[in-house]
Amino acid sequence: MKRRLFLATAMAIPLALALAGPAAATDNLSVLLPPWGTLPKDMTDQFVAQANVTLDAQTLGWDDILTKIVTSSVAGTAPADATELDWSWMGRFGAANWYVPLETLIDPAIIADIPTTSIFRYNGHLLGVTYANDFRVLIYNKAQLLKANIAAAPKTPDELIAAAKAVKAAKIANYPIGLPLSATEGTSTAWYLLTKVFGGDLFDKDFKPRFTEPNSAGYKALSFEITALKEGLIDPAATGLKDVDVQELFKAGKVTFDLAGWAGNMALYGDPSKSQVANDVAAALMPSTVGKARTLGLPEAVGIPAKAGNPKAAAAFIAWLSKPENEIVLYEQLGDMPARLSVLKQLNDSGKLKDGNVLLEQAVLVEPLFEQGTPGWYPIFSTAVSTIINQAAKGQISVDKAVVDIAKAAVDAQAD
Amino acid sequence: MLRPLSSLLGRLGILLAVGLLLCWSLGPVYWSFVTSITPPVDLFGDPSFWPKHPTLEHYAKLFGSTSLSQGNAVQSVWPQFSAALLNSIVTAAGATAVTVAVAATGAYAFVRLRFPGRDICFYLVVATLAIPAYTVMIPLYRLMISLKLIDTYTGIVLIYVSAFLPLALWLMRSVYQAMSISLEEAAWLDGAGRFYTLVFIVLPLAAPGLIASAILTFLNAWGQFMVPLVFSPTLATKPLTVLLPEFVTRNYVDYGLMNAAGIFAIVPPVLIVLLLNRYLVSGLMAGATK
Amino acid sequence: MMRSTFKADEAALAAVFVVPILVIMGGLVFYPLVISAVDSLYRINPMQPDAPFVGLANYARLMTDSSVQASWFNTLAYVAAAVVLETIGGLGAALLLDRVRYGRQWLLAATVLPWCLPPVVNAIVWMWIFNPSYGLLNKILLGLGIIAENKVWFNDQATALFLISLVHVWRMMPLTAVIMLAALQSIPADLYEAARLDGAGPVKCFRLVTLPLIASGLAIALSQSTVFAFNLFDEAWILAGSSIDTRSVIIQIYLTAFQNMRLSSGMALSILAMIGSLVVSLVYVLRVYRETRFD
Repeated sequence: MKRRLFLATAMAIPLALALAGPAAATDNLSVLLPPWGTLPKDMTDQFVAQANVTLDAQTLGWDDILTKIVTSSVAGTAPADATELDWSWMGRFGAANWYVPLETLIDPAIIADIPTTSIFRYNGHLLGVTYANDFRVLIYNKAQLLKANIAAAPKTPDELIAAAKAVKAAKIANYPIGLPLSATEGTSTAWYLLTKVFGGDLFDKDFKPRFTEPNSAGYKALSFEITALKEGLIDPAATGLKDVDVQELFKAGKVTFDLAGWAGNMALYGDPSKSQVANDVAAALMPSTVGKARTLGLPEAVGIPAKAGNPKAAAAFIAWLSKPENEIVLYEQLGDMPARLSVLKQLNDSGKLKDGNVLLEQAVLVEPLFEQGTPGWYPIFSTAVSTIINQAAKGQISVDKAVVDIAKAAVDAQAD
Repeated sequence: MLRPLSSLLGRLGILLAVGLLLCWSLGPVYWSFVTSITPPVDLFGDPSFWPKHPTLEHYAKLFGSTSLSQGNAVQSVWPQFSAALLNSIVTAAGATAVTVAVAATGAYAFVRLRFPGRDICFYLVVATLAIPAYTVMIPLYRLMISLKLIDTYTGIVLIYVSAFLPLALWLMRSVYQAMSISLEEAAWLDGAGRFYTLVFIVLPLAAPGLIASAILTFLNAWGQFMVPLVFSPTLATKPLTVLLPEFVTRNYVDYGLMNAAGIFAIVPPVLIVLLLNRYLVSGLMAGATK
Repeated sequence: MMRSTFKADEAALAAVFVVPILVIMGGLVFYPLVISAVDSLYRINPMQPDAPFVGLANYARLMTDSSVQASWFNTLAYVAAAVVLETIGGLGAALLLDRVRYGRQWLLAATVLPWCLPPVVNAIVWMWIFNPSYGLLNKILLGLGIIAENKVWFNDQATALFLISLVHVWRMMPLTAVIMLAALQSIPADLYEAARLDGAGPVKCFRLVTLPLIASGLAIALSQSTVFAFNLFDEAWILAGSSIDTRSVIIQIYLTAFQNMRLSSGMALSILAMIGSLVVSLVYVLRVYRETRFD
């Protein structure tokens, strides 16, 4: 309380100025999105005409957008009237009350058509509407597999290893499995995904770690990664590779499997101007030890900050962005997987979705990483995960030590 | 002063050193240039000092209005790029002008004028060099909002000045301290005022220091990232350093485009350095004695 | 009479010259700094509704956190490498620029070039050079027969720290060079003449004339190298992410304050970083002044 008083006094003059100032221009809408939210001008022109506002579209690089949102929100202002809201931010931004509930502002029919909205609920309130439906599938180089006399995509982790060994033995690719092992977020999410592949979950319902026992899925997943690295199935250089670097390798035909493949990337991999494997790429359901091809959804949404100056126009913008025709433009121009199931089906029916049947089948099996909702301590945990996996991959610590360290990081992260 | 170097050995040594310096400074820039003319599909292959299939497609993406690449319309980033380039130039030049003016007069006061708290003021200002940007960012953001200076050139320039003034001030103070006071005293005896002496006698003599401060401030401002990231939300003031990371789209890093933009971004600062160099390396004082 | 008007004149001029500095620095640096320093004594986390006063608890926790300790170690390694390499390289480049007669402006432009490349592009260029499979470094070293197979440079902490320092030095050395060049240019040529007439060779000239006269420039260059190395972020972040082997204090601040939203903890660490770079700079500023004052 004392601090508040101090701040109040210190800020009194500037605040008085602030209160007198903004909120005047209500016919202006500012939107802050990452580069894949750089909406084409033809598209935004329609919105401007229809909603009768001036649109101020801002983009920022992915690493930077969080800094921007946190800085303005902590300063008690809105970063923009509508902003990016990533699944991983939910716990933090929900607890901080930085975003407003949307259930009364958005048509329930739209929400019902978007399966991933559950990830954007905090305490039952919907804080964001998905616009980029990122989920993981197994993406592989069909031609390379055929050359190694393998006709079908692997269905289990063991089959995957066997296929990779065959490809390596036939000298088709030096390091057939593409997987990031650097100290970056992509390394963490790949391990979360593999934990599902091995049929388990990271935490129980009280967020107690479940990956320390050698027969647990998380342990098996990590040991799978390290073993594949030691056996030369994963590039030793992967300790410095981010997820996007692995994707570049796949596009260049250097790796056979993009194991933690992003569904939206099928469009990119299939584009001959950007990829050398455009004719060879194919998607398959995630391998699984339990039969059901479990996968991870890492969607991104648009939300409205609590301090937004023009929430009404922002809600109109979100509804407009979710229109089927706009989701299709987003997919075609920017590679954002449509969030609405009906739009995915529509795209597949018109033959615009490469391996669409697989993607649709996998899309229905998408699970969030945390059934309970993303906790606020997620980033502390996730940074620790990628750092520790990176250490294990460099040979500095064993798998046993790594899972114990990760569990300790999880407990510490939850401690306060 | 060059006579002892005129021996052949000395010349060879200098040539060698020049070669080394050029390799060190230009090597990576050359490599950036090579990347900027390498087609994307060739990036993952055996590196070669000269690209096998040089292409201008990344530059075309930068400058062309729209170009057609394998049936896909590729949008030009020139409108964004040129706006950001202009913003970089305006903010860096503005910050340089203000910083050098304030440092030139302020440092003079700290050296030649007597007033209470002179030294403590100076040391406090110089000590702020050590403050990381993150320390002050959130309170500064609140302040800039209340002053309505977010996304304005004035706001960015003011923050740059506050960040780069300590270095310029320190440099100018050391320059003035090294200068003999006798010329100034002669001018005062002739009845010239303090201000007149400063502008017409002291500043010309301090030219190398002024130009060095200008170059340092300009380059520091040119490379800034954290400040504009938070304080320049839109293309109204957003500089190149913040725009470039956006070329890392989620599913693909446009290395070629990024390097092409980078190569182009070094032109304005290099021009400035070439322009100012004359005054830096042959200051009027040195010229007078040669 | 004359003297007293001069004094009033002096005070007025001093006020005109110094007040803008006080306003800018006071408003945009000291005021936010004080707010942050006060905030670092509270527990401020936007995810928690209250913000109680916790005294020095944030600082105490930082002392025992193993990631923070690792980041201090890395930052000190960066500072040591950067200061040594930038000073030697920058002074060498400045001496060279001072001597070269033809094409001096082009050499200066080339020297300054690394600073002009936007930091992101800089880090990405080096990332390509260090790339284990497709990078130039492995290719050159293989070609020269220094290594037998492609090396994954960042798997070894010492190498990783050194390479990141190298990228930083590449970018920052021009600043040292420009400062030293300005200092060299302000040495009157007749001092060298006098020393030479006394029979001093180039080495003695450097020790007796050059070094004492560029001392203040050297102090400035050393301090700015230290401060920039303490603030190292981009190079380590782009080349190695949050890897504990290379994580700098500023990366640790970013992770604590902006990713984990423990704002006051991040503010506390940033204040410690400030004190750290002040103390290190002060050590050699005083040293340089003391050693050269009496010569």
